[in-house]
Amino acid sequence: MKDFIKKPFVTHLFSSIGVLAVIELMTGPPGSSTTPTAGFSGSFGERASFFGLFPTYRFVVFLAMAVILAVVWSFWHARGAQIRHGLNTGLATPRAVWQKKPVRAGFLLALLVFAILLPHIETDPYWQSVMVEQIAVFVLLALGLNVVVGFAGLLDLGFVAFYLVGAYATAWVTGALPLPSLFGIHLNTFWAIPIAIIIVMIFGVLLGLPTLRLRGDYLAIVTLGFGEIVTIFANNQYGITGGSMGTNAIPHFSIHLWFIDYAWGLASVPYYYLTLVFVVIFIVAFSLLEHSRVGRAWTAIREDEVAAESIGINPLKYKVMAFAIGAASAGFAGVVTAGQTFYVNPSSFTLPVSINILALVIFGGMGSITGVIVGAILIQSVSMYLLHSPPAGYQSSDLYIYLGAALVLMMIFRPAGLVPSRRRSREIGMAEKGEGHMDEVLTGDTP
Amino acid sequence: MTTDSIFSVEHVTLRFGGVVSLNDVNLTMNRGEILAVIGPNGAGKTSLFNSLTGVYQPQEGVITFMGRDAKPMNVIGQKPHRVSAAGVARTFQASRMFSALTAFENVKIGAESHKGIGVVGAMLKGPRTRKDERESDATTIRLMDFVGLREKANTIAASLSYGDRRRLEIARGLATNPQVLLLDEPAAGTNPAEKLGLATLIRRVRDEMGVSILLIEHDMKLVMSLAERLYVLNFGGVIAEGTPDEIRANPAVIEAYLGSTADETEKQA
Repeated sequence: MKDFIKKPFVTHLFSSIGVLAVIELMTGPPGSSTTPTAGFSGSFGERASFFGLFPTYRFVVFLAMAVILAVVWSFWHARGAQIRHGLNTGLATPRAVWQKKPVRAGFLLALLVFAILLPHIETDPYWQSVMVEQIAVFVLLALGLNVVVGFAGLLDLGFVAFYLVGAYATAWVTGALPLPSLFGIHLNTFWAIPIAIIIVMIFGVLLGLPTLRLRGDYLAIVTLGFGEIVTIFANNQYGITGGSMGTNAIPHFSIHLWFIDYAWGLASVPYYYLTLVFVVIFIVAFSLLEHSRVGRAWTAIREDEVAAESIGINPLKYKVMAFAIGAASAGFAGVVTAGQTFYVNPSSFTLPVSINILALVIFGGMGSITGVIVGAILIQSVSMYLLHSPPAGYQSSDLYIYLGAALVLMMIFRPAGLVPSRRRSREIGMAEKGEGHMDEVLTGDTP
Repeated sequence: MTTDSIFSVEHVTLRFGGVVSLNDVNLTMNRGEILAVIGPNGAGKTSLFNSLTGVYQPQEGVITFMGRDAKPMNVIGQKPHRVSAAGVARTFQASRMFSALTAFENVKIGAESHKGIGVVGAMLKGPRTRKDERESDATTIRLMDFVGLREKANTIAASLSYGDRRRLEIARGLATNPQVLLLDEPAAGTNPAEKLGLATLIRRVRDEMGVSILLIEHDMKLVMSLAERLYVLNFGGVIAEGTPDEIRANPAVIEAYLGSTADETEKQA
């Protein structure tokens, strides 16, 4: 008991009170111009129920929660290492099983089957459209940004530009923009997929060549600027992009080949399957790339650019490559958005979208494909749930407060993300030796 | 400039604003020799290395590198990765590993960096990629063996000892199949036993792989036993050149290290 009241507990108590006071203000009533202090006094002084037991004031409830938080915190502080150690030894066997290739392959197959069956399990049209527009599209965007930020280590704050170009490229080749399409041919949205992806990749190269000569913070600022330029261009160039109204004449996807004859309509499920196919393609392609020569070169540049150059890696080439490859999946996300909602306008491609995508990547785990997918699914479904059925007192504008808080907590307690990449987690010393193909190479039994 | 020179540095001056880092440096390195550059701290040794590898761009002078097929190339104006492709490998003063990667991967990146990259091929592991991978793996294993790190191939570079990191850096440099290897204080921070091992390794690199060695080192015992010829730099200029015995007896060198200018040298460092 004595060492419980010792200094750490006092520190934890004060920190907890501080954190809870902020939460109290965040969740309390807003002020107004006539009563500017109403938000403050209301947040602390409003009447509230003490966990349903007896009526009291908000600040009492929050103080009680602060004490509970401080006790848990101190307990973890004192016993955390022990518990973690116990967990690690307890998890050794499951981990060893997990390392086996057939087990992982089986798990991935089960996940894929689940993803295929999902629209039949969740039949609510709201959630079906969320699965396509908010989850699958953002999984694609996060996968793309992960190549740029996670693999190559380039902080891109204007990633939404590639998403926008993908959507507008679709509108262009289907003849929905004021700008006449090439040779006057109006393609079907389905055939716009490869063309839009190629256009976005070219755009990635064009954007990358001048900007990628910069490093670190400078790159982040310049990409931020480029992202804004692209959005503003789309907003202002009425004769090319249709201005702030955009266009709403993009045809739905349809495919007419020898024996296949299918048209996507208004229902979300067919789009879900179309997107799922491409998500799987991008996952496979990007993970192959990560473990190829290109992925190793990206890691080298991310870790130490000067050393990488000294052994003959051309950083600019690989960085531009990362931009173009990352842009590809964002471009496809743009095609899906344009094709499903049949309209595009600049207001859906603004800076908060860039930040949102980056938050998914950081939350899930930079450089980890599994991580960014988990992050995208988790954050997007939670925010959509809050939008769909908000709890009492929740306003949709509060979302970013909670997202921000989640990110801060993540950075403190799990800086490498929810599912950290193996290479990044090595840095924190969680490496498991004797693994992967390097063993086979060294013992001479290369397959 | 003799026909068998590999590096020839002529009248090279490098400035950073008003600070003159290299002042009219002339230096010739012959193919197949172990050459050392010594000098007090701040004399411009690392600046010289950075100029030789394209990291710094000197304002004046010519640095000619006779690479593969004896094709001369002026290093000034070239990007570091081009200089590496021409056959110049280097290590760094404070060793710079890719610390989150294994020792094996570190060397392999060097071995495959000069092969062409087809993104699609690399992704799908086509027959050419697989052949390239096999070659890089073989090169990597051979070099890990050569530097004596085969047992530690799967160790994360960050957890290697100081001496092992130096060896790994040498292996990574050699993986790029260089003509000349520049070593920036390879023995810094190593113990006497490791120093001895490094000296043997450096000699073997020259004798068995035919790679010329240019060396910066502070440990006089190591330099004098290893180098066949030395250049002495002080205040950005060459003050002496010769065999170890000549250098030991050179009054200008003695003055630079011990003499009246010692105080100023301290200050500059």
